[in-house]
Amino acid sequence: MIHLIDELKVISGVIGACVVDSRDGVKVTNLPSIFKPERMNQVGRHLLKLYSAGRMSFDELTDITLQFDELVVVARQLEKGRLLFAICDPTFNHNLLTMSFNLLQEEFNLGNFVEDTTAAPPTEEKRSEVSTEGAISEPLQNLLDEMKGLLGKILGPMAGFIFDEVVENWTTQGAPDFSRIEELIEQLNQEIADQGKIDQYRQLMTPVLKSFQKG
Amino acid sequence: MATAEDFIGRIDQIDGVAGCLLIKKDGAVLGQTVDDPEVYSALMQMGSQSSDAIMANTGCSYCRYLSFNRTNLKNFYVFPIDKYLLGVVQQADCSVAFMLDKVSHLIGKVSTGGTAKVS
Repeated sequence: MIHLIDELKVISGVIGACVVDSRDGVKVTNLPSIFKPERMNQVGRHLLKLYSAGRMSFDELTDITLQFDELVVVARQLEKGRLLFAICDPTFNHNLLTMSFNLLQEEFNLGNFVEDTTAAPPTEEKRSEVSTEGAISEPLQNLLDEMKGLLGKILGPMAGFIFDEVVENWTTQGAPDFSRIEELIEQLNQEIADQGKIDQYRQLMTPVLKSFQKG
Repeated sequence: MATAEDFIGRIDQIDGVAGCLLIKKDGAVLGQTVDDPEVYSALMQMGSQSSDAIMANTGCSYCRYLSFNRTNLKNFYVFPIDKYLLGVVQQADCSVAFMLDKVSHLIGKVSTGGTAKVS
């Protein structure tokens, strides 16, 4: 499917595009390497969440546009749980991109959006390898439970759901080991998305992390 | 900042604006000319949080606005203004560029942070 999003890149001002799946993360991307896949995973997840929220308010929702000073992000849901987004220069032609999104959506609906191996998403086999070889140890699981409880003090009732989702994502990116705990915290911080609350969460976690390190 | 009512009144008078509302980032509605402000308010809050996270992940520094584009062309825009969020419902038959220019101009006048210039 890379050639389909490559067609978007031909449009003046379009830097690249990406297709994300709510379960597998980035399916395919032709964005420059400066846009790291793990970051684009996060962007995709937030866009999927935002799109779902928008859909609850507006039945006729087509696209979401985020206009930043440096870039513009335009997102279109292809089907439930799968979203296409383009990152553009602020001078891009929005109408042309919308038309291309419509054409691409048609291709997708016709079933012409066949996945190939270009994106190298984790296969079922690889995922099962991670889950068996990368099982979370009991002490680490206890730590994660504590972290989840503390997140509840910051985010309230949705914390458990968010924490589980982030941990699931974290375990697919590498071995679930304490050496990668900062990566997990960084991903949680992106979900918290409020510097004051991030600082508060860090404060609450510091003694717990120290205690874990001491054993 | 100008009073919320005054600000909302001026935004509402811009050609192409069908209605608007001003909320605090905690969701408290300060003024509105739309029905069901609570529905918009929840969406604006979530939009603001998501746009902040996307901004951090893409290395951007300032969000001018977020828009929910609709087939009926009554797009909904969310503009961050310091600790506040302005929501604007667009009229279907209007010059979007003109409307956005005028709204951004007014925001630039009342805002104490971010960039006031209009592209």
